Amino acid sequence: MSRTKLAVLGIIVIFVGLTVAQTLYTVRETEQAIVLQFGKPIRVVKEPGLAYKLPFVQNVITYDDRILDLDPAEVQILLTDKKRINVDAYARYRIIDPLKFFQAARTEAVLRDRFGKIINSAIRQEIAKNSLGDLLSENRLSIMQAIQSKVSSEAPTFGIEITDVRIGRTDLPPDTSQAVYNRMRTEREREARELRAEGAEEAQKIRARADREQIVILAEAQRTSDILRGQGEGQRNRILGKAFSRDPEFFDFYKSLAEYEENLVDSNTTMVLTPDSDFFRYFGSATGSRE
Amino acid sequence: MPWQSDNGGGPWGGGGQSPWGRGGGRQPPNIEELLRKGQDRIRQFIPGGGASTKGVVLIVLAIIAVWLATGFYTVNPREQGVELIFGRLFEVTGPGLKYNLPGPIGEVLTPQVEAINRVDVGYRGTADTGARGGVARDVPEESTILTGDQNIVDVDFQVQWKISDAVAFLFNIRDPEATVKRAAESAMREVVGQATFDDTVTVGRQQIEERTEELLQAILDSYGSGISIENVRLQKSDAPAEVIDAFNDVQRARQDKDRLQNEAQAYANSIVPEARGEAEQMIQQASAYRERLIKEADGEAQRFTLVYDAYLVAPEVTKRRMFLETLGQVFGSADKIIIDGPLGGGQGVVPYLALPEINKRSKEGSN
Repeated sequence: MSRTKLAVLGIIVIFVGLTVAQTLYTVRETEQAIVLQFGKPIRVVKEPGLAYKLPFVQNVITYDDRILDLDPAEVQILLTDKKRINVDAYARYRIIDPLKFFQAARTEAVLRDRFGKIINSAIRQEIAKNSLGDLLSENRLSIMQAIQSKVSSEAPTFGIEITDVRIGRTDLPPDTSQAVYNRMRTEREREARELRAEGAEEAQKIRARADREQIVILAEAQRTSDILRGQGEGQRNRILGKAFSRDPEFFDFYKSLAEYEENLVDSNTTMVLTPDSDFFRYFGSATGSRE
Repeated sequence: MPWQSDNGGGPWGGGGQSPWGRGGGRQPPNIEELLRKGQDRIRQFIPGGGASTKGVVLIVLAIIAVWLATGFYTVNPREQGVELIFGRLFEVTGPGLKYNLPGPIGEVLTPQVEAINRVDVGYRGTADTGARGGVARDVPEESTILTGDQNIVDVDFQVQWKISDAVAFLFNIRDPEATVKRAAESAMREVVGQATFDDTVTVGRQQIEERTEELLQAILDSYGSGISIENVRLQKSDAPAEVIDAFNDVQRARQDKDRLQNEAQAYANSIVPEARGEAEQMIQQASAYRERLIKEADGEAQRFTLVYDAYLVAPEVTKRRMFLETLGQVFGSADKIIIDGPLGGGQGVVPYLALPEINKRSKEGSN
């Protein structure tokens, strides 16, 4: 084998290799491809696997066959109730017609830019018809559906299919959210005040009831004890009256003596007496009589 | 196994340590070594001339054999193997040692189908378990959500998901993690947007978790994502920082209310029993007074009766005796001045009463 032979063999191998590489290509499970001939699309390949094309005159562009994300910039929308809201929506789409996609957008970046604007304008149109309350209610679903149908009608021009359009963040701009915060705060302050006032009210009631109960209990006790005292005094009068009424005259005498004894004995009394009192009946005469 | 029949302990004596023997998927053979050995052989054969064709065939076969051997791979227990040939789905395999055609023809993907993935929304947790306890940083633009009653709530939550269908997961959506997060955010906003603030921060939390999970699963199913949501967990659901003071004050006010009531109740609980005690005391005193009066009267009456009964035996004498005895006692303890003759009469003494003198005397007497 001469050197020339070897060189020729080498060139042939390289040429064959190059041709094979130019002819065969793979389309992955996640991809789809279009075949271009001198830059003009002639064929779409959606089946994954090994495929072939004419070498050198045709080339292949692959696009993603999965669900892709499209996340347009946040838009500020004036709602019917004059409230401003920032809406950040996102869409999910799939390239279903790579040929159209190639003609209309060529790359995902271009699509993102152009279709993002379409999505945002649909969002703007649909959401601006509503008030904030609507947006936060069950209507949200129908709003999203309206946006999706609007967006979907534009999709075929780009060779794409819109899987889903969803409203993500819907935030109030800073000044509006400040107003909301202020309202929340005042509401809570009112609630707190109310709770404290209720507490004071309840406390007052409990105290008042207790005070009343105290007074009633004491008054009742006063009444009972007055009755008891009255009973005692009455009984005493009855007992003594019954005993003393046997001889009122003797009672006078007996009681007087008892009182003298009690009040005059041991009391340093100075008495100025005349001897003609009954006590001194025999003071001057043995017969007990005086002249 | 081609290299065993053709090689038969040939130049690749080291072939015993087969490439898959090292385990762990597809390991490229030691190419440098192979090349060097191959070159040695070529140099041996080329000058020789005669045996050269056979040698070249051997080398080519050996290279093919080694290349084919790189097609072995292992699937770990928590993984699935997805085999592609020319980029097209060929087979899905379970754990174990498997074979697929080697690259560039074949390709194997091994997604972790058992692993639980976590997505944090509204905060960035620590890298580990991601659960409570880690140092979490709040992301307000993600976590502040408008509620149905037009309040703003601060919600942090975590989504746990796993791959339910490896093929769909790999081939249906691009960037699944971001998709889960975006969809989770949207679902949570939709659910919270239909709930009231109070429900969101208190009793409705579980319901919100459940509804978000449901909605999120529906969204991801509509994408054919092959993702199953394990759970959605609210980590925090609170008033935003701007108004948290006012909300805390409501809690304090609630406690103040209880406190005021308790204090009043304590007051009531002390004065009413005290009053009852006082009442009992008053009644007992009155009762004692009554008993005392009755007993005293009884005693006095009986004493009188006894004295009177005795007096009736000899009335005149007894009366005089009692009179004299009593007066005797009275006079016995008193200072006495006895003046004869009619008091204040013309010829008698002038009844001059020197009161100070008497007092002095009485003092002396008492000393």
